Amino acid sequence: MARKMLKDGEVAVADEGSYDYDLFVIGAGSGGVRGSRTSAGFGAKVAICELPFHPISSEWLGGHGGTCVIRGCVPKKILVYGASFRGEFEDSKQFGWEISGDINYNWKKLLENKTQEIVRLNGVYKRILGNSGVTMIEGAGSIVDAHTVEVTQPDGSKQRHTTKHILIATGSRATRVNIPGKELAITSDEALSLEELPKRAVILGGGYIAVEFASIWRGLGAEVDLFYRKELPLRGFDDEMRTIVASNLEGRGIRLHPGTNLTELSKTADGIKVVTDKGDELIADVVLFATGRAPNSNRLNLEAVGVEVDQVGSIKVDEYSRTSVPNIWAVGDVTNRINLTPVALMEATCFSKTVFGGQPIKPDYKDVPCAVFCIPPLSVVGLSEQEALAEAKNDILVYTSSFNPMKNSISKRQEKSVMKLVVDAETDKVLGAAMSGPDAAEIMQGIAVALKAGATKATFDSTVGIHPSAAEEFVTMRTLTRRVSPASKPKTNL
Amino acid sequence: MATTAALPFSCSTTLQTLTRNLYPRHPLLIPRRRLHHLRSLAAVPTRPRLRRPVSASAAPNGSSSTSEYDYDLFTIGAGSGGVRASRFASTLFGARAAVCEMPFATISADDLGGVGGTCVLRGCVPKKLLVYASKFSHEFEESNGFGWTYETEPKHDWSTLIANKNTELQRLVGIYKNILNNAGVDLIEGRGKVVDPHTVSVDGKLYTAKNILIAVGGRPSMPDIPGIEHVIDSDAALDLPSKPEKIAIVGGGYIALEFAGIFNGLKSEVHVFIRQPKVLRGFDEEVRDFIAEQMSLRGITFHTEESPQAITKSNDGLLSLKTNKETVGGFSHIMFATGRKPNTKNLGLEEVGVKMDNKGAIVVDEYSRTSVDSIWAVGDVTDRINLTPVALMEGGAFAKTAFGDEPTKPDHSAVPAAVFSQPPIGQVGLTEEQAIEEYGDVDVYISNFRPLRATLSGLPDRVLMKLIVCATTNKVVGVHMCGDDAPEIIQGIAIAVKAGLTKQDFDATVGVHPTSAEEFVTMRSPTRKVRREAAAEVESKDEVVSKQ
Repeated sequence: MARKMLKDGEVAVADEGSYDYDLFVIGAGSGGVRGSRTSAGFGAKVAICELPFHPISSEWLGGHGGTCVIRGCVPKKILVYGASFRGEFEDSKQFGWEISGDINYNWKKLLENKTQEIVRLNGVYKRILGNSGVTMIEGAGSIVDAHTVEVTQPDGSKQRHTTKHILIATGSRATRVNIPGKELAITSDEALSLEELPKRAVILGGGYIAVEFASIWRGLGAEVDLFYRKELPLRGFDDEMRTIVASNLEGRGIRLHPGTNLTELSKTADGIKVVTDKGDELIADVVLFATGRAPNSNRLNLEAVGVEVDQVGSIKVDEYSRTSVPNIWAVGDVTNRINLTPVALMEATCFSKTVFGGQPIKPDYKDVPCAVFCIPPLSVVGLSEQEALAEAKNDILVYTSSFNPMKNSISKRQEKSVMKLVVDAETDKVLGAAMSGPDAAEIMQGIAVALKAGATKATFDSTVGIHPSAAEEFVTMRTLTRRVSPASKPKTNL
Repeated sequence: MATTAALPFSCSTTLQTLTRNLYPRHPLLIPRRRLHHLRSLAAVPTRPRLRRPVSASAAPNGSSSTSEYDYDLFTIGAGSGGVRASRFASTLFGARAAVCEMPFATISADDLGGVGGTCVLRGCVPKKLLVYASKFSHEFEESNGFGWTYETEPKHDWSTLIANKNTELQRLVGIYKNILNNAGVDLIEGRGKVVDPHTVSVDGKLYTAKNILIAVGGRPSMPDIPGIEHVIDSDAALDLPSKPEKIAIVGGGYIALEFAGIFNGLKSEVHVFIRQPKVLRGFDEEVRDFIAEQMSLRGITFHTEESPQAITKSNDGLLSLKTNKETVGGFSHIMFATGRKPNTKNLGLEEVGVKMDNKGAIVVDEYSRTSVDSIWAVGDVTDRINLTPVALMEGGAFAKTAFGDEPTKPDHSAVPAAVFSQPPIGQVGLTEEQAIEEYGDVDVYISNFRPLRATLSGLPDRVLMKLIVCATTNKVVGVHMCGDDAPEIIQGIAIAVKAGLTKQDFDATVGVHPTSAEEFVTMRSPTRKVRREAAAEVESKDEVVSKQ
């Protein structure tokens, strides 16, 4: 290790020994853990601070693993799995299965098993850090000066640590909208750990968190009302795919309220009374605000050292994740670039290579795939048709396939899978791919590899299908659905 | 693309793609006749497509001002390859096409078949439907860990499943017939036989054709051992009247494993007998071990290195299987999945001089042409890679070659494939063994993990993923996966492998989180580096692990 550091030059210069650490990381979520681990791998002396573990985050509670492991991707996906079984039971009937008597759902058991898995992963993360030689410090980190971090421990005691570099990876947290009675609502943190499963759930928001919880609760048997401001959920995604998702959510029994906001919540004997801006009222056991997330940059004392933040509080960084203070860096949701776990991992790896590996490298945000785990899921990579048109110089070729998945031919579920490829008419490059339907997220990963490498439609066509699969549609789209010219643009009125 | 620009029409977008697909960038390869042909193709949209029905009696005189034959193409067999070839020949290239097929039956015979062929009637489709049906029992088990409980255990009603499956098959046969009809292809029911290089007889009626395409597929074959008459094949296994209580499946190939999974999931007691020490000969060795273990954990009993010798039926109607090692009794059913053979008997091939190999497969050149110039063959009857999408590719390439003036070889490299066992397998490219053989220096990346779903369900399900990289070029030459969703996951990966992408391309791709598939883009360090040369040097570096 030491030998490698001496080779590194940058790390081993004059001030070696004058700081406690080469790197001090604030926040042990996806980005922070990756950043410290890989930096330690390059020979850096690293410490990381994180708040005590708790499923619901606050100013003083967090935990190793961060949002992804404790309050995001992992527990969410577990609940989605749990909720998906309802559809399976329904589908199984026409395949000859009979379940006589009641099907019961034990929410406590799922919750218990989920918590157990999260605690296990929390331990795994700590072990990873320990094995990498990273010093773990429990408490809330804040910045004293460009080379000093102060950690306030749960008992109130404070410690100061000096460091050559600081990496801020404190993530983000759910926000609430400011309406009367907002304290009656919960955010996704609480929604993942509710004591009781709601029978009547109201969700405000049209983003991926909103539609995922709508699917989870509906799948577990609740009546779900989903309110959002736009005409369609999932702003930013391909309009055609948004339409499909909306109709699939409805098909699974979720009541959609487009173009509708909530104006007031109040407590009644029967539950929470919800008033909409259209004057409608309904009663719910749970009201979820899935109205956005804000970077956790408040309590870091950033102003004092001159780290710039934007108007929503996200830390401004350059392409290498460096803040306005040269030895302070930031990765992940706190920088509000693309707020996804694998992106935070990429940013952190690039940071380590840049600062400690002697190989400056920028994270590449092109063709980042992502998935929305509503039921059925949506997954996309590259450009939407609208984005492609906005950026295009050439005509755009759109190939779509809307089909009844083979399983539905027996189950009689009325739900189409939809796939879409957006292709540059001149270069034949596939600019974007999207799918709504079972296994979309798993299918999209390989498509993402092809897209990232600049695959053409001809390459897709030359690939032999895997039969019978849903994914084979992506390599058998022979007929053009439409050709759109960037000049004409119009297309949809969504 | 000068060739496209030269085309005198640009009316509909469909035609634009059509021409784009037909004439890719190989101007130097365009044969001389091309120009003439382009002109005639260009005329196609302006005249009504070939929808006029050409009956056997009308054919000799009909339209024949341009041709001395009844048809430009006569196809024997309306399975995947035959339907694709005749449809493309007709719609894309204006050929006058007919296809003959035997009457529909779920179980094939010398004179029974059905439009759609093996894939639709006795293969991919019904198999996958039964896989779906059988997979639910695993899902019921999984659901317990997610908090679901049932007052009574879920029960399965066999007849509902088989009835619904058959309704679906009938529907698909109808769709296939429509496809042919809409494509202007004449469908003739009956058994086709080659009479001479330009004549086919269908149950005695003669049809002449410029080209004949043989796409009659394959069918299950069984060894000739005592008691074989008590045994069922995969055709029958897909259409059993009742659930087998206890079934022996003889064979270690993909069909055997798929049916083992199906019957196991539908709660039969399943025993698999294989001659080899391992299942799935030809697959990656690690995958072979992994799938056998996972299937065993789900309750299937494997009897390895056992060859079947005889079947006996006892008075109570139950069957016993005698092998070289033991006799196991009490079976309600014994299924043989011991291979398939081409349907080349009684087709008149020998008489017209179409060459076949020792297994009866028609020998074809790279363009699917047989030893007789006007006779071609695609699909399982040629025993190349016996998969539906490959037959489609061969059928499409044949149509281009014979009628599009665009000689096209089907490309049999990097063809992905799936086994719908439970858990399923997906693969593309080379096995580790093949890669070492071909490239010598190979890096192998392996991930063997317990998926998130299993950590909650508490079941012993695992996932195996494997990337095989050529160490000198860094190209990913093989990808293998066994675990949930493997076939769906491998499809996209197959595009990357087909495009010749490198490990760096995989690494540069951001993961979709949380999925199983993301493992394929987050495999950072090789599990082993296999080096052919300089074994001594390799061993001196301790991070390098040479194989064995």
